[in-house]
Amino acid sequence: MNGTLAVARYTLVELSRRRILLVFFIIGALGILGLGVGLKVIYSVASSSTQGGFGPSNVDPAAFNHFLELLFLTYIFGALGVFGLLIAYGIGMTAIYHDLDSGAAVSIFSKPVSRLAFTTGKIAAAVAALLVIMGLLAVEARLVMFLFGGGLENALTVAVLAVIGNTIALMLLVLALSTWMNNIVAAIVAFIYYNVVAGVIAFVHNLTDSGVIGSGIVKTIFDVLYWLVPHELISSATGDLVRAQVAIQGARGNTVIAGVPQASTTGDIIWWAFVVCVFCGLVYYSVRRREV
Amino acid sequence: MASVVSVEGLRKRYRHHDPWAVDGVSFQLEPGQAFGLLGPNGAGKSTVVKIIAGLLRPDEGSVQLFGADPGNPTARKDLGFAPEEPDFPKFLRASEVLDYFASLLGLDEAERKRRIPETLQFAGLDGERRQVRQFSKGMKQRLGIAQAILGRPKLLILDEPTADLDPLGRRDVRALIDRLKDSGVAVLLNSHLLSEVELVCDTVAILAKGRVLKEGTMAEVVPEGRSLEDVFVELVQASAPPRDQLPSFITDKDKS
Repeated sequence: MNGTLAVARYTLVELSRRRILLVFFIIGALGILGLGVGLKVIYSVASSSTQGGFGPSNVDPAAFNHFLELLFLTYIFGALGVFGLLIAYGIGMTAIYHDLDSGAAVSIFSKPVSRLAFTTGKIAAAVAALLVIMGLLAVEARLVMFLFGGGLENALTVAVLAVIGNTIALMLLVLALSTWMNNIVAAIVAFIYYNVVAGVIAFVHNLTDSGVIGSGIVKTIFDVLYWLVPHELISSATGDLVRAQVAIQGARGNTVIAGVPQASTTGDIIWWAFVVCVFCGLVYYSVRRREV
Repeated sequence: MASVVSVEGLRKRYRHHDPWAVDGVSFQLEPGQAFGLLGPNGAGKSTVVKIIAGLLRPDEGSVQLFGADPGNPTARKDLGFAPEEPDFPKFLRASEVLDYFASLLGLDEAERKRRIPETLQFAGLDGERRQVRQFSKGMKQRLGIAQAILGRPKLLILDEPTADLDPLGRRDVRALIDRLKDSGVAVLLNSHLLSEVELVCDTVAILAKGRVLKEGTMAEVVPEGRSLEDVFVELVQASAPPRDQLPSFITDKDKS
């Protein structure tokens, strides 16, 4: 237990001093702030300078703010996803790999610490660091939402939880792969597997589920494939936002709604937990087998 | 009294088709003994000490560290290991590295507070505020030795401990080995510096191509009137083709 705590503590100290994570965080924080303030200012200016033409000057202010908040959240979900991805790669590529690559692991593993304690400490620290960074970005996004006051706070919370869940799974995969191979190669392999292959499978599965692709064979194949790869957690907020935007802007959005990924079910969440456990096991197996 | 280290018929290779890096090495190390492991580059010295430290798995043979498998963390409780080319988490300071490693050794806070400043002072790193990534090779080597003695080990393995040290640092390491030997600590010294080994070791083994060429007390290995270097060169040259020929482009008189 002492070994795990020591590994976790000093991994966190190290991660807190890595400039790349700080840069990602600052860019993310500035981006969220800029997005919120920018949207508010641009639409306010546009609405005050146009009468009856462009802009929502003929819409009541509450609906207008609700619309702005929807727009902000739509962008924020995308931005949080991207920054979550960057931070997952940033942590996953360095937390264990740098110890192995630099030779620090030689001194560490010659101490009376088991590989299990080392792995547990590393994973705990990596997850804690990711939670702190994503949590701070989420809190900032929530504060920016006060500019709009449209009552969509719960949507943000659920979406942030989904993003964090996805980034944890990806980070664990990168951690495990970077124990076997160079960390840049590991990141590329993880991206291809998690973001491209699994992403395409999930996307096609969604199209078959919503009836856009009607072929029974394709549906069967992708139903099977879907449960063989990790798939991203999706909050109901994504679909809710699209439906609300369509409702505000007018009907003609039925096709768009059909293409929106459906919210994750309990089965998806259980599958995510299973994938996380498998990836944790993979990290441990990789560290245990590693000779330094 | 049980051996500190017992190595029997040890064999190891890194890949299936590679030649053996270590091929049938056997020796024992007793408390208070200083054992020198000598050999040219690629002889397998570092592989042997890494197996003893539980960092590599042997393919054949057995290694016992305090009577247990070195892969077992508790067997490494009384081990201090200063690796060749030591490195540490880059973004930590020297005092943090020692605190980290002291925690891994299971030292409580009071003991850490007592030992760390003294160890830093011994290593000449007291007051050093820079992070490890800004350390010179010599500073890392000093920190490597500092972390190795932090847990008051009963076995200290020093893998090329003085390679990057200045003469004062070398003298300090020699004094450290003498003091530890006197207090019953076993020392396994892996070094190219034969004069150094001759000064501090009671027993030596000369390795080449993973095999022990000669092993025994210093008196047994080095006959009267000869130096350790003479014996070493003779044994190693006999086991390998001569390497005293310079490249032709160096010796060519007609420079083009």
